[in-house]
Amino acid sequence: MKRALAFLLLATTVVAACGGNVAASPTPSATASATATAKPIQVGLVTDVGGLNDKSFNQAANTGRLNAEKDFGLKTSVIESKKQEDYVPNLTTFAQQNYDLVIAVGFLMQNAAWKVAKQFPNVKFAIIDGAPANDAGNTENLPNVANLFFKEQEAGYLVGVIAATMAKNMVGKATHNTVCSMGGIPIPPVDHYIAGYQDAIKTISPTTTILNGYSNDFVDQQKGKEVGLNHISKGCDILFQVAGGSGLGYIAAAKEKGVYAIGVDVDQIDVAPGTVITSAMKRVDKAVYDTSNAVKSGSFKAGDNFFSATNDGIAFGKLDPVVPADAKAAADKALADIKSGAIKPKTDLTVK
Amino acid sequence: MTIDQLIGAGVLAATLRLATPILLAALGGVVSERAGVVNIALEGCMLVGAFFGVVAADQSHSVVVALVAAMAVGAGLAAIHAVAAIHLRSDQIVSGMALNILALGLTSYLDYQFYGTTGTPSDLAGVPDIEIAPLAAVPFVGDVIAHQNAIVWAGLALVVLIQVFLFRTVPGLRLRAVGEHPRAAETVGIAVRQTRYWAVIASGMLAALGGAYLSLSVAHSFTDGMTGGRGFIGLAAMIFGRWTPVGALVASLIFGYGTALSFSLQGASIGDVRVPVQLLSTLPYVLTILAVAGFVGRSRPPAADGIPYETEGHA
Amino acid sequence: MASEPQATPTGPATAPSVRQPTAQWARGPAVPVASVVFALAIGAIFVLLSGHDPIAAYIDLFRGAFGSPYDITETLIQTIPLVLAGLAVAVAFRTGLFNIGAESQLLIGAVAAGAVGARFADLPGFVLFPMVLAAGIGAGAGWAAIAGYLKAARGVNEVITTIMQNYIVVFVMHWLLQNGPMTAPNALGTPASAPIGAGAVLPIIIPNELVPLTRLHAGIFLAIAAVVVFWFLLWRTPLGYELRAVGLGARAAAQAGIDPRTRIVIAMAIAGGFAGLAGMIQVTGVFHRVFDGFSSGYGFDAIAVALLGKNSPIGIALAALLFGAFARGGSIMQANAGVSAQLVSVIEAVVLFVIAAELIVRVLTARRRERKPLEAIA
Repeated sequence: MKRALAFLLLATTVVAACGGNVAASPTPSATASATATAKPIQVGLVTDVGGLNDKSFNQAANTGRLNAEKDFGLKTSVIESKKQEDYVPNLTTFAQQNYDLVIAVGFLMQNAAWKVAKQFPNVKFAIIDGAPANDAGNTENLPNVANLFFKEQEAGYLVGVIAATMAKNMVGKATHNTVCSMGGIPIPPVDHYIAGYQDAIKTISPTTTILNGYSNDFVDQQKGKEVGLNHISKGCDILFQVAGGSGLGYIAAAKEKGVYAIGVDVDQIDVAPGTVITSAMKRVDKAVYDTSNAVKSGSFKAGDNFFSATNDGIAFGKLDPVVPADAKAAADKALADIKSGAIKPKTDLTVK
Repeated sequence: MTIDQLIGAGVLAATLRLATPILLAALGGVVSERAGVVNIALEGCMLVGAFFGVVAADQSHSVVVALVAAMAVGAGLAAIHAVAAIHLRSDQIVSGMALNILALGLTSYLDYQFYGTTGTPSDLAGVPDIEIAPLAAVPFVGDVIAHQNAIVWAGLALVVLIQVFLFRTVPGLRLRAVGEHPRAAETVGIAVRQTRYWAVIASGMLAALGGAYLSLSVAHSFTDGMTGGRGFIGLAAMIFGRWTPVGALVASLIFGYGTALSFSLQGASIGDVRVPVQLLSTLPYVLTILAVAGFVGRSRPPAADGIPYETEGHA
Repeated sequence: MASEPQATPTGPATAPSVRQPTAQWARGPAVPVASVVFALAIGAIFVLLSGHDPIAAYIDLFRGAFGSPYDITETLIQTIPLVLAGLAVAVAFRTGLFNIGAESQLLIGAVAAGAVGARFADLPGFVLFPMVLAAGIGAGAGWAAIAGYLKAARGVNEVITTIMQNYIVVFVMHWLLQNGPMTAPNALGTPASAPIGAGAVLPIIIPNELVPLTRLHAGIFLAIAAVVVFWFLLWRTPLGYELRAVGLGARAAAQAGIDPRTRIVIAMAIAGGFAGLAGMIQVTGVFHRVFDGFSSGYGFDAIAVALLGKNSPIGIALAALLFGAFARGGSIMQANAGVSAQLVSVIEAVVLFVIAAELIVRVLTARRRERKPLEAIA
């Protein structure tokens, strides 16, 4: 049946004809899509060039997609972009097939999402970490685009509180009163984490030495590990990574030398138990999940949607047993203070 | 900028670590090209070595099994290249590129299938470091070499072994003869194609060992594309080293040193101007070009490198 | 020791032929087509193993690449830079050089085009566009000529130089765009330059009423022109003859009075010019600015494109189209059939491998004809 339909579509040469989306559906239920009521909500996810295995936000977004599919009975698909020029056609692919929600993962897609969303005003879009940006490079909000932002500095601040408390009190292997961080490359979404981290350390433990470095890579683990070994040789015993796959090498350095590491984006406590003491979490999965649900329930909100400590879009991950109660208490208090607005973590680096 | 940042023990130890995967790929290139087959699939061999090393370590909990498996898969990928290059007379570069794409696609796909949601296990059996107790207390030297990984030493040992094999043994002479003048080699009774097969397979094993070093010694995990072009750098190191193991070692060390510097110099200033961290990262590449232009110059590949050999009268 | 520059390690294997450029393909499309079919059959096994329907997947692959005018234009957009980068590799091969650096030549062309296009954004198009064009081609040519010069003057193997150059450009671009002289404030979230002036933008060549949403830009004409230039230059000019002579044997060329060293520098410059043009077209036709992470791997695919196309103009264009179709169709295959992007790469690799191993297909199609017996398979 669907094969016959696919052949039919193959013969069509008019783009408009592709709007039927029948052949596109791999599930038998698609045959019922003739009636609008039976049509399940369709959510399409387009990754940036990092791909689904990026150990970072693309992967988290995909987790959110799969959870939403399961919990809300949605029909979902994903396309991994291999090149920057694929963003527009990939977003267009879902929009042309009348998907209800098309999610662009990553700030790299801000301009592409603006272009496509303008062409398809009846399709809803969401951009992880971004807002639609026009050809001049300026933000231009659209009525059918939700901008999903995360306050990374809050997550950085929370784990910074834990690191600072442990460094100050010389807990466990943290004996040198020196803490470090490593970014992939110096760009805002990375530096926000590190800025919040440094802000917390400066606030809580002003005497603690802070170092920061970059692997200049989001993939290469050996580079991340070398930066880590270099930091450890300078006395660092708590290492915070914001570098995707390369950051796993940074954690590996901490593991090898028996010091502590802090994970990023997702809960990385299982990456190296006993080494990773907590993670600065950015709940991209939750953003995708919630936005999918919002489309289904009719509560989709265009424009800026912030995922922060306030709505549990930002959090610190599971804690290793070595983290003392006072450090956890301090982090919990910081979380409350960020929610209440008493603390506003910085977004600019203190130590470059 | 301090002396320690330039030639401290930490920098030199890092140089050895960073040079090792490139060295192993380069040694693979030397063996293959000395026998007359261009193996541009070194990158792919490294990648499958890295991935299947992790899978085997996960399944067997044995480092030895993991390394054997990694090298076996590397040998397998190289064997496909050998069939293409030796029997099917494919363009050796296209075949190599195809296998590189295959290796990247396949390892990423399987990585996602096996470990997509969890990541590779954290308790993976890793290749141990070799602690040289008597040296550990020696200042400087101890910090550089007393705690290096077993594969770092294996790489250095392989340099000596392959150098001696190629230039001091009869089978080595035969291998080189096949790469220089296959027709003549055959007339004196050397099995040209068979020799080439073994050489290409060996090159795949060496490169795969380099990949396994990255996943099992350095990272203790696998991530997509983690070899990051080291197979190609290894190819450059092979040429830089004039198709000799010792030369490849020198080239790899220079490259590794440049990379180590790019990390140790982060935050350094020239006068009042802070060197952009991104430009520091160009160090190993610039250093390599300068070294080759300044000291190495012209290098000559084996005469029959890349030319498929057709047996005479074997119709 | 011979004083002429040596062929690359791969030179002999890929040594250009004296045949007419299109000879290989003129024999008919049977072999390449059979190769693709055979490779798809092998790829189907992978798709089956992954739990998907290969026929549905391949329909999506084809439909994604050629199923509608819009899809065809998207495939062509992918094809344009591949053609140009393929020419960049092929010019070098024809001269006996292995240019692994098309990637960095493309990138530096993009940087130069983006810089000039943004710096002089207010100039009218008839002034600005030629400037941007010259900047892109010139930067690519100059950058590649360094590799040629180092080979000619110092004997540095171009494989080393071009591999290293690939990395150097990426890091220099990080600097230029992240917090260097080209960094422009913007809301794009990603480090990027300012947009180029409207006068430098390549127009969309198909009206939106005909093909809604199409992005196909005038760069396709530049790509076609480049293919013609490539053919004319190599087979219809004395310089082209000299380059090919050097490619066939530097020593013999030298004996015939052709100095290989100058020809090597010229060949690399021409190669870089083609790749730089590719980068310039991506900036003026697709993105309208340069940004960090611009790199796309076209320069590496280009090696396969050039060799698959036998370093001939038509062959390169067709091989680039094949790659473009895979890139475009692969996305649709993932979206609709759920076949992962990695498996698309695997299938692409199999296609490439099988085409390279023409022998397999010759045997399969039983077209041994005039060829001498093939001892390998029989």
